[in-house]
Amino acid sequence: MSTSLIVLIVIILALILMYNSLVAKKNQVENIFASVDTVLKKRYDLIPNLVASVSKYMEHEKGLLEEVTKLRSEANKPNISDEHKMALDAKMSAALGSIMIAVENYPDLKANENVMHLQRTLNEVEEQISAARRAYNQAVTDYNNALEMIPTNFMASAMAYKRKEVFEIVESERKNVNVKELFN
Amino acid sequence: MKSVSELTDFYYKVLFPTLEKLEDDRKSLRKKIIIIGIIYTAIFIPILFILLDGYINLDLLAFLAFGYFAGGTFIYKIMIKDYTQEFKQNIISPLIKAIDNGLHYASISHVSQHLFDRSDLFRAPDRMNGNDLVRGEIENIKIQFSDIHAEKKHKDSKGRTSWSTIFKGLFIVSEFNKNFAGQTVVLPDSAQSTFGNLIGNWLQSKNMSRDELVKMDDPEFEKEFVVYSTDQVEARYILSHSLMKKLLTFKHKSAHPLHISFIGSHIHMAVEYNKDLFEPSVFSSLLDYKVAMEYVKTLHLAIGIVQELKLNQKLWSKT
Repeated sequence: MSTSLIVLIVIILALILMYNSLVAKKNQVENIFASVDTVLKKRYDLIPNLVASVSKYMEHEKGLLEEVTKLRSEANKPNISDEHKMALDAKMSAALGSIMIAVENYPDLKANENVMHLQRTLNEVEEQISAARRAYNQAVTDYNNALEMIPTNFMASAMAYKRKEVFEIVESERKNVNVKELFN
Repeated sequence: MKSVSELTDFYYKVLFPTLEKLEDDRKSLRKKIIIIGIIYTAIFIPILFILLDGYINLDLLAFLAFGYFAGGTFIYKIMIKDYTQEFKQNIISPLIKAIDNGLHYASISHVSQHLFDRSDLFRAPDRMNGNDLVRGEIENIKIQFSDIHAEKKHKDSKGRTSWSTIFKGLFIVSEFNKNFAGQTVVLPDSAQSTFGNLIGNWLQSKNMSRDELVKMDDPEFEKEFVVYSTDQVEARYILSHSLMKKLLTFKHKSAHPLHISFIGSHIHMAVEYNKDLFEPSVFSSLLDYKVAMEYVKTLHLAIGIVQELKLNQKLWSKT
């Protein structure tokens, strides 16, 4: 009698621990996504200023500028899903990268103090975004691992937890495409 | 900044006359030490026999042995004092000036205990001493470092006190080029290399005295170090991929255990050497290449962090 009781208590304890650790992992992912969101928003806020400062000069890149403006308004829509936010972020990074490279072709623009300031700010925000993305990916990896590893996988499927996607970090991003370095 | 080979040139060319003179001093000092050592021992042995009086009393023997070494060390220290001063004044000090003119050297000071405590790398010491403080600015970045020996006091049940070393080696403090609010600590990884990834990671995450465990996405870095921080995102903001690579290079270059912390907009680095640095050699030649290289390399390593870790590349918001 007493042994079976002890076994039962141990099983219940193990279940509670597994349950709690899964919830903690899920919340960690959500928490860190909130920080990702904050820095992404910080970057979106820089867009109008950037577009206004460079559009006078950049005749040939009008399409690019329109694209970032469009991406920004899309990102500002309420109730968009996390996956959508991540997709927008990837597009935005690529578009901004192209703009920064294009700035190289305009000596006037390169010397413009406002543009220089913007680039530095952007550079710093990019670093913060990169850090937030990496933190998010680690949290998601921990969460996904728990979803697939024994014994938490049984609990997770009972709780109907789904795998989450990580941010794809492109190779150029790994090296931290450095806006500042482009100018040296 | 001058390279290691340029500094070695400086050591052998510019400092050579001084070195030759010091080398003579060293030789006569060594002779004196040997003679006094023999006399000291010769006096001690009869005393030993008189006190032991034919019995082998282990407690007394241990006490006498301790007294013999303590007395010997004391005499030795007094004997090399002038020579050490001379050496630091004429060799180490010019060497530092040659590396960067903006640096100041104080042979008897050390990095303050306040900074050591702030770094949060080690337990609070009960006793701390050190020497060879170098401080100044390199490319507008304030930096200081010194030899540090921090110790903890222990009392056993009989009320005897003993001291154990918490940290001995080079302690470097410098401004950091990014703004941050929290605390991030990077320590040598012992758990993961001993117990493997799974158990090691689990043990690390259970470290109660530290903040949250941060798993880094650079496998090589993760193998060498363990990171704790108050903020998962900020830890990664500080430890960018490029900084992790640079810290690894630094670690391999120094070839000694490395503890790093980022607190209060400063970077603190503690390199464990387990010996007193920048002390003159008494029993081997000052002209010896190995001896010279040790002084040059250690200085170069410490002063080089500003360029090595690119601490001079400040971000916009931090000017």
